[in-house]
Amino acid sequence: MRPFELTAPSTVEDALGSAGTFLAGGTTLVDLMKLDVLTPQRVLDINELPLRGIDAADGLRFGALERMADIATHPGVYPAISKALLLSASQQLRNMASIGGNLMQRTRCSYFRDVTMPCNRRVPGSGCPAIEGANRMHAVLGTSETCVATHASDVAVALVALDAEVVLTSAVGVRTVALNDFYRVPGSTPEVENDLRDGELITEVHVPRLDWAANSTYVKVRDRQSYEFALCSAAVALDVQDGRVVDARVAAGGVATVPWRLTAVEAALRGAPATEAAFANAAAVAAEGARPLSANGFKPLLLKRTIVRALLELTEGKRR
Amino acid sequence: MSARLGAEPKVTGRAKYAVDHNFPGMVYGYVVLSTVANGVLEAMDVAAAKSAPGVVAVYTPFDSLGLTTTSSPMMGQTWVPLLNRDVDYRGQPIGVVVAETFEQARDASALVAVTYREKPARTSFEEGLPSAEDAPENRGNPPEISVLAPGVESIEDALAASPVVVEATYRTASQNHAAMEPHSAVAVWADGALTVYSGNQGSDMQAVELAGALKLPESAVHAVNPYVGGAFGGKGRTSAPAFLAAGAARVLGRPVKCSLTREQVFTATANRPATVQKVALGANESGTLFAVRHDSWSSTPMDRSFVEPTSHGTSREWYATQNLAISQKMVPLNIPLTTFMRAPGEAPGSFALESAMDELAVALKMDPIELRRRNSSIAPPGIDLQWSSKHLDECYSIGAQRFGWANRSPNGRVDGDWLVGMGTATAMFPALLFPATVEITLNADETAVVSTSGADPGTGLLTVLSAIGSESLDLPPERITPRLGDSRYPSGGLSGGSTATASAGAAIMVAAAGAIDALLALASAPGAPFEGQEVTYADGHVHGADGTASFGELLRAVGRESLSVTGSSGPGEERTKHSFSSFGAQFCEVRVHRLTGEARVSRLLGVFDAGRIINDKLARSQLSGGMIWGVSAALHEGLEIEPDGRLANADLASYLVPVNADIPDIEVQFVEYPDTFNNAVGARGIGEIGVVGVAAAIANAIYNATGVRVRHIPITIEDLLVD
Repeated sequence: MRPFELTAPSTVEDALGSAGTFLAGGTTLVDLMKLDVLTPQRVLDINELPLRGIDAADGLRFGALERMADIATHPGVYPAISKALLLSASQQLRNMASIGGNLMQRTRCSYFRDVTMPCNRRVPGSGCPAIEGANRMHAVLGTSETCVATHASDVAVALVALDAEVVLTSAVGVRTVALNDFYRVPGSTPEVENDLRDGELITEVHVPRLDWAANSTYVKVRDRQSYEFALCSAAVALDVQDGRVVDARVAAGGVATVPWRLTAVEAALRGAPATEAAFANAAAVAAEGARPLSANGFKPLLLKRTIVRALLELTEGKRR
Repeated sequence: MSARLGAEPKVTGRAKYAVDHNFPGMVYGYVVLSTVANGVLEAMDVAAAKSAPGVVAVYTPFDSLGLTTTSSPMMGQTWVPLLNRDVDYRGQPIGVVVAETFEQARDASALVAVTYREKPARTSFEEGLPSAEDAPENRGNPPEISVLAPGVESIEDALAASPVVVEATYRTASQNHAAMEPHSAVAVWADGALTVYSGNQGSDMQAVELAGALKLPESAVHAVNPYVGGAFGGKGRTSAPAFLAAGAARVLGRPVKCSLTREQVFTATANRPATVQKVALGANESGTLFAVRHDSWSSTPMDRSFVEPTSHGTSREWYATQNLAISQKMVPLNIPLTTFMRAPGEAPGSFALESAMDELAVALKMDPIELRRRNSSIAPPGIDLQWSSKHLDECYSIGAQRFGWANRSPNGRVDGDWLVGMGTATAMFPALLFPATVEITLNADETAVVSTSGADPGTGLLTVLSAIGSESLDLPPERITPRLGDSRYPSGGLSGGSTATASAGAAIMVAAAGAIDALLALASAPGAPFEGQEVTYADGHVHGADGTASFGELLRAVGRESLSVTGSSGPGEERTKHSFSSFGAQFCEVRVHRLTGEARVSRLLGVFDAGRIINDKLARSQLSGGMIWGVSAALHEGLEIEPDGRLANADLASYLVPVNADIPDIEVQFVEYPDTFNNAVGARGIGEIGVVGVAAAIANAIYNATGVRVRHIPITIEDLLVD
């Protein structure tokens, strides 16, 4: 970690008026500073800003500094969001990490985190060793010739499925962006990860009201049972009436460069019977366009299976 | 059962590990690692680093610390940093930056500019298999051994003559010990002598290796390691930070602290090699083995310093067979050093052999326990020395009963979306002894001290010293002070090879008998309280015709503060009379999700025949810890080496070990038959056998649950995701 200047503004105006890197829970930033991946000259500790509150009166509103642990255990939070949070990281990390910071977390690609290696995301134009290298954890969807890094957030997958928006505040104003539009696939500019502009700060996360989202879940498949990133995950909400799917929300994690909304699967589910066969049929389109790498050829199949498993959880009662 | 000594300071944070030692004027070393896998250092520009804030010195092979090669009798030659300009692997220590703070040293290390003359690197184990070399001798045994029945020309003939044959190739991943305490040291020079605080498996061995590297008499080096944060074979040899701290402290005349970062531990220490093993088993229709062939390949670093002896560690001894052929080859690669890791040979070897036994049971449609019973040996094949004490069948019968083995179906069972299976495997680990010397001191204040250099790397040896000392001196344990982890104590050898309890314990018994003899001689000597009397010792007292006196009273009466006697033990004539091993039966239940393929271990039971158990609580901890290692090897751990020699997962975020959620309740049971043929204590080793067989039991349970036979570890989701 390199020496840096640390200040702690107490108002949003002060924070937005200062140049520097925002520090909330620090669970990504401090790690990457220790690894020399990020070397900010100035760090702004925003933890004193009044960006708190969980409001479940009409949809959900989270202040950006609300901790993952607090949102996860709030009774009004949709199950997919709560489960995605509880399956993230460890309790200690969830106690520290903010929801805004979670949405801004960087990829866990080991080449991104190793400054002795090239990485187009870290040093544009330097190359991507993951495409030919150790890429089992990497993405098969939304990839490009420059970058195949997986987006690491669990809760972002649930939020994208449920049409969440982020409120972005800067010195010049406030704007609201759908989270699904906020993230950018790498394309030819992998260093641009999202729509956040210089001087902007996520101040609030909003999830629109969706009554049947009470029937939602998040399934995370991984190499150990806790404290590990997803090989594949699925956030699913399902409106079933008389054995038929009326509506569905589906998004996937661990397989794509951004949280991956699967509207084609949702469309295939609408009107279908709520059976495993119909779910498998709908999930078959989930991996369309997937480009597996040398070590993650199993991910398209795992993606379909994970979606089916999540859908079954919502229709067949308590499956373990 | 007494609790672990040292537990309270450990859990309250008062225990001082190596880097907890601080001294006035101390400076900090940060190790610089190579970034290529093969080459020669052409230049190291350290000017910028030297002028960075707080930097005191930078040492490299171009401006070295004057260290030299070194070795110890038990471990042979040990790698010493900065001796030459060769780079044999990526992540090799090539320098050390010393500064007033750790952070200054670390920041300055990034300013060291290294110029390499790079050479092509050999990093692929699989590509190296065709050009593998014969491995060196293993404990005096050649790399190829065959035992053939009269009239049998070759193992191939024996296999051809076997009605039922299974043959398969198994692979195990390279692993890192990942001990909680990174390798580290604090070195202090005073008056031409060195004191080093560094977690290690044998304090006097560390002193010998440091004295050699620094060209000092052994008496000028004092090695201290009162607490060790895990070792598992990875701290048998002196670490790079210890050599660098010692050398820098001598040159600078200031205390130096040097610790690897977690990431550096993966390359700058030493790992368990990867293995490939081809096993062929031939049997008749009733399951009696007629031929066992086990050919092994191990990765090894370019210095060929350690090979994983998988065939020699398992098939050489495990089953009765008329025909046996084993071989061990090695593939030298530009990879980090390799070394002993908990059950070296036996752990990965048992994955292959015990998977193959399960495959044979399937081929024979026979219960896998029954197959093992039918091939139980009374001695290793072709060797006349029978097992000193073997109760493996009893382990299996107790375990089968307790685990509900009778409920196992050949095709597992289904529970909701989970496929459930049971598996079993044999565990064996040789019962070795190493030379050890223990000093016992009886003090006039009625206490006794039991001391030996050695180390307690978390095994509980300190508690064992107390228990056997208490028993041998007929004193309550609270009057015994055990001392370990200081090279000034008599040589206790190595906490390794699952030998420390038996070795140090036997030495304690010898020393205690000597101390009691000396006490009795003192008691009946001219002018002493029991002059000329027949005296005996019991319960801390000398008993004579005229009465009794405690040993403290006696020492005070003759004007002595204390009485000290040493005793030694080691392997002896008993090795010519029996073969020695611990035995165990591992049982495992696994659940595999039918859609997404996660394998979860839901039950584990190990039943062990490991001689006399000195402390039940600590022994259970050792065995269950070993079994957790088995889960880890089976489902989580594996170092991944890239073509350029980089380790793809050299941190604890990507090198997975189990978390609590991955580990079910683990049951451990002992059949306690003291093995007094092995040593007077009756103990055999328990540190390593717990891991042996577990990975195979898990793979066998997965096969039982799913019908999928996975012949490599770790087993991951894609192995079980059947389209």
